[in-house]
Amino acid sequence: MSKNQHGIGGLTFDSKKKARAPEWNVFFALLLIVVIFEGLGQALMGQSLLFDTGDRFGTIFNEARLKIIILQVAIIGIIALGSTQVIILGGIDLSPGSVVGVTAMVAMSFAQVGEINGMANPKLMFEGIYNLPVILPVLVGLCVGILAGAVNGALIAYTKIPPFIATLGMMVTARGAAKWWSKGQPISFPTDGYAALGKGMMPVVIFILLAILFHLILKYTVYGKHTYAIGSNEQASRMSGIKVERHKMLVYTIAGALAALAAVVLSSKNLTAQAGMGVMYELDAIAMVVIGGVSLTGGRGSILGTVLGALIFGVIISGFTFLKLDAYYQEMVKGVIIVGAVVLDQFRQQRAASRM
Amino acid sequence: MKKTFLAAGLLSLLSTTAMAQTVGVSMALFDDNFLTVLRNGLIEKADAMEGVEIQVEDAQNDVAKQLDQINNFVASGVDAIIVNPVDTSATQAMTAAAEAAGVPLVYVNRQPINVDTLPDNQAFVASNEVESGTLETFEICKNLRAAGKGAGARAYIMMGELSNQAAVQRTKDIEDVLATDMCSFIEVVDQQTALWSRDEAQNLMTNWLSSGEPFDALIANNDEMAIGALQAMKAAGIDMDSVEVGGVDATADALAAMAAGELDVTVFQNAAGQGAGALDAALKLAAGEDVDQKVYIPFELVTPANLADYTTKN
Repeated sequence: MSKNQHGIGGLTFDSKKKARAPEWNVFFALLLIVVIFEGLGQALMGQSLLFDTGDRFGTIFNEARLKIIILQVAIIGIIALGSTQVIILGGIDLSPGSVVGVTAMVAMSFAQVGEINGMANPKLMFEGIYNLPVILPVLVGLCVGILAGAVNGALIAYTKIPPFIATLGMMVTARGAAKWWSKGQPISFPTDGYAALGKGMMPVVIFILLAILFHLILKYTVYGKHTYAIGSNEQASRMSGIKVERHKMLVYTIAGALAALAAVVLSSKNLTAQAGMGVMYELDAIAMVVIGGVSLTGGRGSILGTVLGALIFGVIISGFTFLKLDAYYQEMVKGVIIVGAVVLDQFRQQRAASRM
Repeated sequence: MKKTFLAAGLLSLLSTTAMAQTVGVSMALFDDNFLTVLRNGLIEKADAMEGVEIQVEDAQNDVAKQLDQINNFVASGVDAIIVNPVDTSATQAMTAAAEAAGVPLVYVNRQPINVDTLPDNQAFVASNEVESGTLETFEICKNLRAAGKGAGARAYIMMGELSNQAAVQRTKDIEDVLATDMCSFIEVVDQQTALWSRDEAQNLMTNWLSSGEPFDALIANNDEMAIGALQAMKAAGIDMDSVEVGGVDATADALAAMAAGELDVTVFQNAAGQGAGALDAALKLAAGEDVDQKVYIPFELVTPANLADYTTKN
């Protein structure tokens, strides 16, 4: 106890006891994983994961690898931005993977070109509908995602069924719709305009812009404050006049819209839409969110944490390929790392709490 | 006159029994491009035949669900069953269920583990997977030699889902060809799975490119992965004439990539032919006719030279 006590209940500000922002823990985990891969790379391959060894590219960093690390998680990252908000709200969303599937199918059928290699497009979905301006498929796609999200939100807010069940229903229904849309056939050959949306590093640009946008929204707007409040204590939020039902609807709808954007970028990047697209994406997204320090019980976490969680995912995938790890082992190790990262985070938090 | 009447009567009797033919079909999954072409081939064939009704179910990649569907078909008294097995090692129970009920059963596309011990009224219709990977790899080997790389070439291999028989077999085909004297000049840089998926393949290829290793060929277990790899190579500015890229399936997207001068080799598996062949075999078995227990629909090599023959097939 210090001598000059002041403040409520004798609590004083002590900078030594100030808790480190949880994002730092995630950042250290990211660094640790990079260091492990660097070490293994030097020991086993004589190469570096992130730096340009042997002067093959003539740069300090291996830029190609830095790019792919983030590119390969950008699309699921966009979904994870929505999942972050849903989980902070105290909910869960199992539907985005399937929403990606159906949105990609629907959007792509309005994004097709009329001719390929000088011949009529053999995969045209609707006769006479081709070469539309790029904004149309994007808007149609967004509508599909918003509709799916709004249905999720309405079910959860007004019928009071658990989010797990409501979004499980949407997961199954949306996947069914994705298969039904073209009777299981893939839809390919988009216009150049549509193809530009996911070309090169565009998925990363879109992911980062959306991440900054939602980071600011969660941190500085009433929308963000209400999301955290409902996730921390729904009853108290209701008592203090927050329109909980309306807000839940809004959050799930935004998550649906983000899944739709991910679908547009994914189908553009791959120049095709297939009914099986996005399977299991929701689980990868939830894993990114949880690794990023968002609590599954709600009320805690941030977009920044999720972005770091996504980067951890990217480093793991690229690291495995870099080490030429046998394909059979990759998934096993990935599972262990996901759980390990969260256990480490829990351990740190408990220690931080006991220091108070 | 009487005789013609009798004959006509008999014929109409025959055609009414044909009227009653119902065939239950259990597909491993609906949202797979290739299996969709197969399923549509089967449905078209049935639609074109008079008096054949088929009922197609989606087993959603679930072994237990598939067995339930077969038992449901038996319970509703179908004349024959066609199964595209989810898991090729779980077919014994299906064979037993159909055999006990005396209903003919035809496996299609994926080779059941008990293929050599099938009862008389069961059969297997597919293409021989040994051909696909072999045709693909041998053509790439020939092309590399023709390009003057016979002294030494390096290849990446992209595998499908590792739990899938076709992925395992096609990869083994590749390895077998690369072990022959003629093609042993090709060295494998790395082999990884991209889960049959274009997006996974794009990411995997970009990861490979980031290691800066030189390579001359990419051999993929299917077209979707080959196309994903092509997209990654194009994004990295690689000259497509300097790399041999091969896939399997001859999908519409793959043929377009070949027409654009990017994809070098693919192999056509006659999906619709397999579907139609399976229905054929099922109806014959239902009518008590003899059928070969293994019906193989051949794979066909597709290169820029014969591309035009295939553009409307899949």
